[in-house]
Amino acid sequence: MSEPENATPRKVLEVKDLRVHYATPRGEVIAVNGVGFDVYRGETLGLVGESGCGKSTTAMAILRLVQPPGRIVEGQVTLDGTDMLALGERRLRDVRWQKISLIPQGSMNSLNPVMRIRDQIADGIETHQGRQPRSVLKARIGELLDLVHLPGRVADMYPHELSGGMKQRVCIAMAIALDLSLIIADEPTSALEVVVQRVVAETLLEVKGRLGVSMILIGHDMGLQAQLVDRIAVMYAGNIVEIAPVKALFAAPQHPYTQRLIASVPSIRERKPLIVSEERTPDLRQPRPTPVLRQVAPGHLVAEAADV
Amino acid sequence: MATLIADPGATHKDAPGRRWTMIWLNRKLIAGGLMIGAIVLLGIIGRLIWDTDLARVASSPLNLPPFWLEGGTLDHPLGTENSGRDMLALIVTGAPATLRVGLIVGLVSISLGILLGFTGGYLGGWPDYVIRILSDTALTIPTLAILIVISSYVREIDVTTMALIVAIFAWAGPTRVIRAQVLTLREQGYVRMARISGLSTFDIMFKEMMPNLLPYLAASFVGSASGGILAAVGLEALGLGPQRIPTLGMTIYYALEGSAILRGMWWWWGAPTLILVIVFIGFFLITIGLDEIANPRLRGGDK
Repeated sequence: MSEPENATPRKVLEVKDLRVHYATPRGEVIAVNGVGFDVYRGETLGLVGESGCGKSTTAMAILRLVQPPGRIVEGQVTLDGTDMLALGERRLRDVRWQKISLIPQGSMNSLNPVMRIRDQIADGIETHQGRQPRSVLKARIGELLDLVHLPGRVADMYPHELSGGMKQRVCIAMAIALDLSLIIADEPTSALEVVVQRVVAETLLEVKGRLGVSMILIGHDMGLQAQLVDRIAVMYAGNIVEIAPVKALFAAPQHPYTQRLIASVPSIRERKPLIVSEERTPDLRQPRPTPVLRQVAPGHLVAEAADV
Repeated sequence: MATLIADPGATHKDAPGRRWTMIWLNRKLIAGGLMIGAIVLLGIIGRLIWDTDLARVASSPLNLPPFWLEGGTLDHPLGTENSGRDMLALIVTGAPATLRVGLIVGLVSISLGILLGFTGGYLGGWPDYVIRILSDTALTIPTLAILIVISSYVREIDVTTMALIVAIFAWAGPTRVIRAQVLTLREQGYVRMARISGLSTFDIMFKEMMPNLLPYLAASFVGSASGGILAAVGLEALGLGPQRIPTLGMTIYYALEGSAILRGMWWWWGAPTLILVIVFIGFFLITIGLDEIANPRLRGGDK
């Protein structure tokens, strides 16, 4: 569950100095301010931070899905040796879903209400691999549903006949339909109740393990992150302020923001006083330096507190 | 873990096609469909059993009342008018012609509406800007006034030509409605997911989005069909319709010109009016029936 053992683990994704701005009538909002990180083969990286810290925008930028008024100002995103930001629209379409896929936030409306599950999964497969005989497709869809622990008859159902957790698992099945290298899961369990959250999270982890793919898990639930990910990157105001193996981060959080984030997890054993920070999120329109990350332990990098 | 998976079988039994069986349970839709169906049948069966040549001038005795009145005869059960046309034959040929106007106007305007509405709504940007300005402008034009001008220029007019003239002005409404629906649909998660998963724009528009809009499209189609008939009948009642084909509107025009009301020949204007009333009520019931299917909140508690 920690970093890959071998000396030079293969990088699946390399993000360097990524900057995303949103144009607003009252100035450019710097949503992602020079973020850089790597994801290794088979690894799960957690991306945490408060709402508006830029974690979803980072993910969207990796997928090249930033919509106007947002735009990727600069940076480098290399997926399996392909420079994502330099791809033309056609090639991009090929790479998305074939190599990198998204499990969206809120599965509730990520499925087309008037299409059977079978057709929705088939669409993704056929778009990238061409028309296929019905029997092949059917077997494939059965396998995928089985992988996410859904009975085969779900294929013939419509989304409204499924529960929230089942829908989310259908989304997982759709995301893994092709032989890919990276899954981005954007708060995949946020709209679910805790028991279902757990089932979905376990399904996700199991599927990931079986397929040997890497995953970026975006979320703000530190408890869930602690159980699911190998490394955590903490984002604050558009920057990564701390990145470390999950154990190290929880054992010795270095950055003040990380410390507060971990302290905010309620404990059943003690009643902690509620600390409400006086500080507001800084004005994201202000240009600010990208904090330099300093290594405090192997693989444990922290930004200087003063920089943020 | 397997125990945690909810069993969907319980809901599955009655689920498939529930939405579609429900359509047939909507009384307004059934009633409307029956009314339009009756008119269509009238056209089909009437042609088989009744001699449509009787719709020609001077093919029958003049000014006969319906058969149940003094002087009426079963040879002309609905009577005749003052130039010797048989009323039943007029209705048998006129009703389908009127429905055809509705069909053509409906098809043309809904096709243009789908094309323009989807293009504008989904693509956005300058295509949307152009389409929006054009349709907004078209909506403000007083259609009948312009139709009167056009029809009085086009002398040799037949049913299809007239339908097309009416359709020129009927696309703006559907375009606006469809564009608005596409705008909200575009932001739905599944449309975004379809875009991410690499589906082509055409597939996204017509495979992913359009099925979701079917009830709207159907209601919009029926709405513009009846609107088209209304405009066509309006032109005909002013004497601007086809001169040779006895449509319902033209019959009303001749009735007005022949002072049918003053002369007490109610069957002359009454028969085509009744058919038109049935057509409009039928279309209206279908539209609100479809509306109720598209928007469950309109459904009353009377089921």
